[in-house]
Amino acid sequence: MARQHLLKIGVSGIRGVVGEFLTPALACSFGQAFGTYVGRGRVIVGRDTRATGPMLQHATQCGLLAAGCEVVDVGVLPTPTIQMYVAVSGARGGIALTASHNPPEYNALKLFNGQGQFFNHYERTELIDLFHQSDFYQATNEEMRGIRRDYQTAQQIHMGRVLKHVDLDLIRKHRFRVALDCVNGAGSVMTPRFLTDILGCDLRAMSIDPTKPFPREAEPKPESLGELAALVSRDKCQIGFAQDPDGDRLAVVDETGHVLDNDDVLALAVGIALEKMPGDVVVNLTTSSVIDDVARAHGRKVCRTPVGEANVVEMIQSIKAAIGGEGSNGGIIFPAVHLCRDSHTGMAFLLERMAQTGLSISELTARLPRYYRRFGQVAYGHGRLGSLMQSLEERFPDAVIDRTDGLKLTWPGRWIHVRTSNTEPLLRLAAEAKSETEVEQLYATVMELLAG
Amino acid sequence: MRDQKALRLSHVGLRGVVGRGMTAAHVVDFASAFGTFLDREGPVLIGRDPRASGIMIREGVIAGLLACGRDVLDLGLVSTPVIQHSIRRRDAAGGISIGASHNAAEWNALKFFGSRGTYLSTAEAGELLDIYHLRKFTFKDWNAVGRLDPTEGALDRYLDDLAQVFNFEQLKRYRIVIDCCNGTSAVVLRHMNERFGFSFILLNEQQEGVTFAHEPLINAKTIALQLAPLMQPLKADAGFLFDADSDRVGIATEEGQAVSEEIMLPLIADYLLPRGAGKLIITNLSTSALVDEIAARHGGKVVRAAVGRQATIDALSSYRSDQIALAGEGTGAVMMPQFEFVYDGIASMLAVLSMMHERQKKLSEIIAGYPRYSMLKGELPLTSAGIPSLLMDLQNQYADGRVNTLDGLRVDWPDRWFHVRVSQTEPIVRVICERRGDPPAVLFESLMERVRSAA
Repeated sequence: MARQHLLKIGVSGIRGVVGEFLTPALACSFGQAFGTYVGRGRVIVGRDTRATGPMLQHATQCGLLAAGCEVVDVGVLPTPTIQMYVAVSGARGGIALTASHNPPEYNALKLFNGQGQFFNHYERTELIDLFHQSDFYQATNEEMRGIRRDYQTAQQIHMGRVLKHVDLDLIRKHRFRVALDCVNGAGSVMTPRFLTDILGCDLRAMSIDPTKPFPREAEPKPESLGELAALVSRDKCQIGFAQDPDGDRLAVVDETGHVLDNDDVLALAVGIALEKMPGDVVVNLTTSSVIDDVARAHGRKVCRTPVGEANVVEMIQSIKAAIGGEGSNGGIIFPAVHLCRDSHTGMAFLLERMAQTGLSISELTARLPRYYRRFGQVAYGHGRLGSLMQSLEERFPDAVIDRTDGLKLTWPGRWIHVRTSNTEPLLRLAAEAKSETEVEQLYATVMELLAG
Repeated sequence: MRDQKALRLSHVGLRGVVGRGMTAAHVVDFASAFGTFLDREGPVLIGRDPRASGIMIREGVIAGLLACGRDVLDLGLVSTPVIQHSIRRRDAAGGISIGASHNAAEWNALKFFGSRGTYLSTAEAGELLDIYHLRKFTFKDWNAVGRLDPTEGALDRYLDDLAQVFNFEQLKRYRIVIDCCNGTSAVVLRHMNERFGFSFILLNEQQEGVTFAHEPLINAKTIALQLAPLMQPLKADAGFLFDADSDRVGIATEEGQAVSEEIMLPLIADYLLPRGAGKLIITNLSTSALVDEIAARHGGKVVRAAVGRQATIDALSSYRSDQIALAGEGTGAVMMPQFEFVYDGIASMLAVLSMMHERQKKLSEIIAGYPRYSMLKGELPLTSAGIPSLLMDLQNQYADGRVNTLDGLRVDWPDRWFHVRVSQTEPIVRVICERRGDPPAVLFESLMERVRSAA
């Protein structure tokens, strides 16, 4: 049995199982380190609907105030909404208390700079060093600021930004019948209204009570979206949307009740975005080649990064890309709205496309080039990584080699990607090919090699 | 060196200069320790005084308690006695008051209360301190963390109970000027004006200020400077000065006389002793001998404990509550049995007003009925190493008096006494002398010289 990481403090912040591992004292210290790092000033704090959210929010706010920050509490909101609010509020930074797609016993502090974006790699290293040195600014009573609450503004800002990039009247005219599953997460407070009042949909919503626990697995994967698929079929919806608890990831169910592959959803979004904006595409190494096909059709290039939202975001910014994302994660990043993963942008894009073309979502998906993928994982012993990777490379001498994140071997029409997990001592394997037999064969060969 | 007393973790709780001594980490850990310590079901009530740092501390306190699975009811800006009262009324497991009482604005503190709304006993406080130092907290799993609930009506329930003890109708007619020192008393008093038609004239009643209009010290000097000059111009019947969390109170007479804070305990003793069965007055060794004289008038008896709230609490708990008339100290902090022995400045004020009404006398007339005692207080820098020999030398030097070594050294003669002790809150030695009649200047000067030369 692989060891689970019950607490992880690193360059992506602090994440863990709340209680014995992620304690209020840790959150408080991290808040104070953050407040010290951003140089006091205003800091925005919001959260998803996890039961441990209020406790961690108070602890984090305690640390921020102790560092002399002014706190603006935006309450329960999707993470992208928090990020956009940070960017317009004159804040030095923001913190979202959310463990995103992780199970309910987890929580985490997601950290943002004054633009509501991830800190870059170097900044994150500075911050974590500051945390470990415990060299915090200690505000005196005279320097202490208070907490202001603003539960309303952020949603308007977020929805307004999305609407700038879609044809609202066209979408509203179709009055799409849409199913929605917010997993009782942060989307519950905003997404139903976004779909009904703003986009004019006929909404059939489930799991939109932010006071209740997650009724399904937090990550919106095909195997956990059975109820949503059933709702789509029963109510004859034209499309179904599912979010993760902090409303940044999107999964889609087509009108037949079939859960779409996240890479295909991203491919559709890429196609839509490239018509709206100039620039190239950024995806991680594990994302499907369908993205390359779509980009090529628009005369654009695809730039690949190591896995991780922060890596994709950093690259999008560097090359001024039009769109980016991570296929398997259900993450669509459209920087014209904001440089963050946002399920709402994805929803608006897909509805707009359906309205423009008059095609159903399954028909739109069917038009994409077809690839077959297989994912897996295998535990590995420490110290064996180098020889495993090397033997893979030697086994496939004809492949194009990419060593930027583990090992990716590419041939025309197929690839394999092997990388170590950031959170567990596991090797994650992804394989893709043009046919099911081809991918199974490739997957089996590699698995055999890794297990041997 | 100056910072050696910027933080104090003790049986009395957590107390310090925010940022310099008391940090967010201390607050979160101490609240976690309290959440771990409580063994009774029920929510925890919290409230704070208006210091700016109180918001930071509240956040940390809430986080620590929620993590231990405790539901938290936040009473907001409210006086400590209201928190204590609500603990009993809401059947809570305990409570925390965030506020540093009479200390300067840069200080703050956590005070802990058990399920009866009273301070923890020394044994309980010791256990809490041990849990804090061990840092082995019983944090609950994600699905059992506590909830923060809004709460209202606490102030009204508190006032309802006060109105059972004091006749508000009779007291309303008095014209009272009150310096709230930007503290929580203003919240209570303003509400009494609105709900019961009192006509309290409130000074320094703003809250949420970064600084106090003046330091929240309850003594004759502050009263003379801030309150007494207003009495005659405002045609007031009495004036009161509260500290930031409304447990201490001082008075000015209608003539504009600033009365020493030492008067509160004897004054209320004079009111309560003839009324109840309890004959004991619990106080500390530094409190004026006037209380002994008042006690003797009514057949009462004074029990003196070491200085500090904890010693008074422990002394209280070693008697049956019906034996006790009241408890308190020379600082203007008084506890009455009607209020479960909680330091309550508002109740103290109402007791004084009730006394004026009952005797149909002006406040200055009541004060004039007491013999004159003169107290001299001094303080000198502490050198801890020399203290034991200094005290022994003094004891030998003043061997003709009655010696008490419970807390430093107190020596009594029939008409005068002195007390030399080490402060619990500052790095100083305190010297207090009192005499019936004129100030004991010679004794005081020789003691000060003796302490100075020992340094």
